[in-house]
Amino acid sequence: MSEEPGGTNVRGESPDAEPVVETDEATITDDAELERTLGLSGGLAIGIGTMIGAGIFVFPGLAGGQVGTAATVSFAIGGVVALLVALPTSELATAMPKSGGGYYFISRGLGTLAGTVIGLSLWFGLVFATAFYLVGLGFYALDALAEVGVTIGASPGAIVSAIAVLSGIGFTVLNVTGTENAAKLQNGIVALLLSMLVAFLGFGLLEALGFVDADTPPGEAADVWEVVPIMSVAALVFTSYLGFAQVATVAGEMKRPGRNLPLAMIGSVVIVTLLYVLTILVATDVFTQDRLLEEGETAMVEVGRQLLGTGGALVIIVGGLLATMSSANASILSTSRAIYGVSKDALLPRWASRINLKYGTPHVALGMAGGPVVVLAATRQVQLLAEVASFLHLIMYGLICVALLAIRRDRPEWYDPDFVVPGGPVIPTLGALASFGLIAFMDPTSIAVGITVIVVTAGWYFYYARDVTLKGAL
Amino acid sequence: MTRVLVPVEVLEGKSVSPGLMNLLGTVDVTVLGYHVLPEQTPPDQARLQFEDRATDALADLSEEFETAGGRADHRLVFTHDREQTIDRIANEIDARAFAISGMTGDVDRLLVSISGDVATERILAFVEALVGGREIGVTLLLAGTKPDERRLEDAADRLRNAGIDVRTELVAGKSPFRGLMDTVPDHDAVVMGENAPSIRSLVFGDDPERVASASVGPVLVVRYVESLDG
Repeated sequence: MSEEPGGTNVRGESPDAEPVVETDEATITDDAELERTLGLSGGLAIGIGTMIGAGIFVFPGLAGGQVGTAATVSFAIGGVVALLVALPTSELATAMPKSGGGYYFISRGLGTLAGTVIGLSLWFGLVFATAFYLVGLGFYALDALAEVGVTIGASPGAIVSAIAVLSGIGFTVLNVTGTENAAKLQNGIVALLLSMLVAFLGFGLLEALGFVDADTPPGEAADVWEVVPIMSVAALVFTSYLGFAQVATVAGEMKRPGRNLPLAMIGSVVIVTLLYVLTILVATDVFTQDRLLEEGETAMVEVGRQLLGTGGALVIIVGGLLATMSSANASILSTSRAIYGVSKDALLPRWASRINLKYGTPHVALGMAGGPVVVLAATRQVQLLAEVASFLHLIMYGLICVALLAIRRDRPEWYDPDFVVPGGPVIPTLGALASFGLIAFMDPTSIAVGITVIVVTAGWYFYYARDVTLKGAL
Repeated sequence: MTRVLVPVEVLEGKSVSPGLMNLLGTVDVTVLGYHVLPEQTPPDQARLQFEDRATDALADLSEEFETAGGRADHRLVFTHDREQTIDRIANEIDARAFAISGMTGDVDRLLVSISGDVATERILAFVEALVGGREIGVTLLLAGTKPDERRLEDAADRLRNAGIDVRTELVAGKSPFRGLMDTVPDHDAVVMGENAPSIRSLVFGDDPERVASASVGPVLVVRYVESLDG
């Protein structure tokens, strides 16, 4: 097994591999240094900022509408699965603190075929996820319009699509031309969201426990405490946990990666899991299952109104807009990094990762992210988009766990992680089983779309990159 | 040996003026070629595309420094954060000062500010090494609400003992920044100390940056070193 990636793709390009030295502050290549500039808070902001949009602001209505209070268990299961994957991902990321994230680990652990399939599926998975966040944003914008007195006529659905499409284009253009430091803005938004949520959930919990009374409407809760519905809701809402692994896509830019990567990944999973479970608890306490079903994507707005009046509704609307924007934006950025990762390894043409000197941004990759996002966002298929995104990510998560087992077995000389998952093979094995297992509870249409993507990407490997070798290389 | 860090935004076509190169002819120079990327862009992605071009430009610059009589090496960094990069490299090479490049011809007279809470001793030692026996005059400036004339004269004596032609300038009732701005005309370059990091510098930007943009000429900033000055 060679230490260097090799071979060429159909265009004659080889993977770009230069020996590097990693320090806590920079990556040092032969002629240049790459500064590590992201701290722990930046990493947490990426993880939490990507995840929080969906789980709190879009899913409570859909999930609570299906199984009532039992949805807390669905979210908790999602959190446990995410944690089982976040631990192995952390070990791999501290051993390979490079851009590319999950793709990188799988291509090095399991070889080029798995790498190509996952690298390209990650691209599409992020595209589906981004489209899903944008549709959520559209629903919140519609509610915001209604709240300020703009009445929408016959076709609210078309308005949602239009808003989703326009913001998709907007974010893409912004990312190509924006040179301001949006990272600080993202950190600020996440901090603001967290404090809003803590205040809101705190009040909601006081109400739920009976300390204060906000006149919640009476009603028999039709909670469905059965395994299969709970699991299928867990599979649906797992989209709320796609984000911790995005921290690994910026691993190359993180200061003290050995410490900050595991903390950011595991920390963001733990924080959002707690918030999600509490949110569902509050939402299903305020409204019964049938009412949540009726309110759909923006049920949380009505929960806010019930608890705190118009002010509560406004807080949730503003929070929902901010959170879905932050998720969509963070995902577009991750998509561009995912494309860079595969293009660097010659699995996509090199021009896909070109940068323009004017703005210093990867305009081609951002376009390859934004273009399909806009198309998908127009469909407004919240559940389908969410599940396909989850499907493609779950395949990657499962394979990350398998890759960890494979790399530990092969023990390449360079493999020296700062963070080691305790318990030997137990956690990665459980993580892989849980990831693949969750897929079984998805809607058949979503599974079919997901499998189609996998087959197409595998076809691409055989056409384009059959001769590239990545396994075992650093 | 005294080492000075010269950061240059190399891919933006920035260079170092001949006057500054000559001025630095008596000290060791590390040219720091850097390129700042927006957070959308992994630094590695930029390296892939621009490394060769940037390295060529840096090699040329180092050569020009050598021609001007100094000893120069270079580093190339792709970063999201300029300040962090300059700090890290300055620490690694133990740089006594860093340069903010500006336009100037030959340097005949330096303006050296010892106003404010700066490490006077290290500024003077640096100026001595920089002048290095050449025919370069120094104007020592102390500005503030109630400047201490004694401190200014002591400093001037120290430089005179090293054989440097020194003038003194005491400006009372003005901020160090204003005092410096009023004295800058007739000088070719400024030497000043880096203040201890303060809230004000976070809000208004660092004084040296403001001086550089207001005075057009190059500014040499003697670094604040926590272990020595803190």
